[in-house]
Amino acid sequence: MNAPVAAPHLPLRVRAAMLLRLFAIQGVWNYETMVGNGIAFALEPALRRLPGGHTGDRFRAAMARHSGYFNAHPYLASVAVGALARAELDGVPDAQIERFRVAAPGPLGSVGDRLVWAGWVPFSSAVALLAFGLGMSPAGVVLVFLGTYNVLHLGLRIWGLHAGWTRGLGVASALANPVLRQGPAHVARATALIAGVALPVAADGIIGSGRAVLGGVLAAVAAGAVMVTLLHGRIEGWRVATFALAAFVLYAMVR
Amino acid sequence: MTLEIFRIDDRLVHGQVVVGWGQPCSLGFLVLVDDEVARSEWEKELYRMGVPPEMEIVFDSVESAVARLAGYRADARAGMLLTGDIDTMARLVAAAPDIRTVTVGGVHHKPGRVPRSRYVFLTPAEEARLLELAAGGVTVVAQDVPQAAATPLEVMLRGEGPT
Repeated sequence: MNAPVAAPHLPLRVRAAMLLRLFAIQGVWNYETMVGNGIAFALEPALRRLPGGHTGDRFRAAMARHSGYFNAHPYLASVAVGALARAELDGVPDAQIERFRVAAPGPLGSVGDRLVWAGWVPFSSAVALLAFGLGMSPAGVVLVFLGTYNVLHLGLRIWGLHAGWTRGLGVASALANPVLRQGPAHVARATALIAGVALPVAADGIIGSGRAVLGGVLAAVAAGAVMVTLLHGRIEGWRVATFALAAFVLYAMVR
Repeated sequence: MTLEIFRIDDRLVHGQVVVGWGQPCSLGFLVLVDDEVARSEWEKELYRMGVPPEMEIVFDSVESAVARLAGYRADARAGMLLTGDIDTMARLVAAAPDIRTVTVGGVHHKPGRVPRSRYVFLTPAEEARLLELAAGGVTVVAQDVPQAAATPLEVMLRGEGPT
């Protein structure tokens, strides 16, 4: 991979259009092409700038190429979209672009899964649970969850598109960002800390001073312990924890 | 612990491998076997970024993987060997017949491939290659994540695998 050179100018409206389209990247998700159609849809505003415009042969060939199979984390797919847009407009050979399309999805999926699904979702849930335990209203708890979650979600999409466009097919160096490399471990520790504080605080909020539902809580804990034992080794712990936290908050909101 | 999992997955390093298998199986290292990747520094750099800092990834051609296989098996850590296609795994098994189980973790759609499960699409030639492996005594199963049941090859080829 050649050393990165300064990125050419890409008008703000084109970048904005690509960013907006990234939110629909899973719109036609399917087992055959995964997010391939979404990748082509997000790239399309940039590909219109290829020689010949949107009726030219290069545009058609690029759209066909990028509509094929592509499987990556939906948020970090923005990195690939930026890099592929840059490669297409720089006239990088088709074979090299195709090689990147094969190599990039796996690492982008791996980084996204560790950081978002296994890290940030449980973290956001724990923060929301803590907000509930501290007495926040149900609507406030939902807003805290959505706000916390979307800080990273939106940040990744915006950063990814910029990093991909700036570095082109040499975008691997951007994935060495400490947030992506060390972030999941720090997020996991923070989640454990916040959940450790939030669970007893929230439980106290549900049980209340009269201890009217103490029996129900103890029964739920026992049932949960049995479920975790039965599911041990058959389901990932973070899925159980996220489901339990979500059920906890929903119960508190509808009771 | 040792190198126990031999997986065919056209995505190579990705979330199912690093999170789905890596965490419950406490994988300490991955061996990525691909002749082209082994020659490409930028691709190796990309795949390195896909694994967490605490997990090691090594890159091999088929030839070098065969030479180092005994060392990988002697490793105290749990490990997984990955190939991106059936042909590469078949070449590896032919040169290292002590590989007894091969897991098909993901072979996705391309023109000419027929769906056999939600994550396995095969051409007739690829099906024949898997049957050759099985005829040679290798247990071939389809399994995307450890929580899913392993589907035997004959069940998968009947299209009765996970959908």
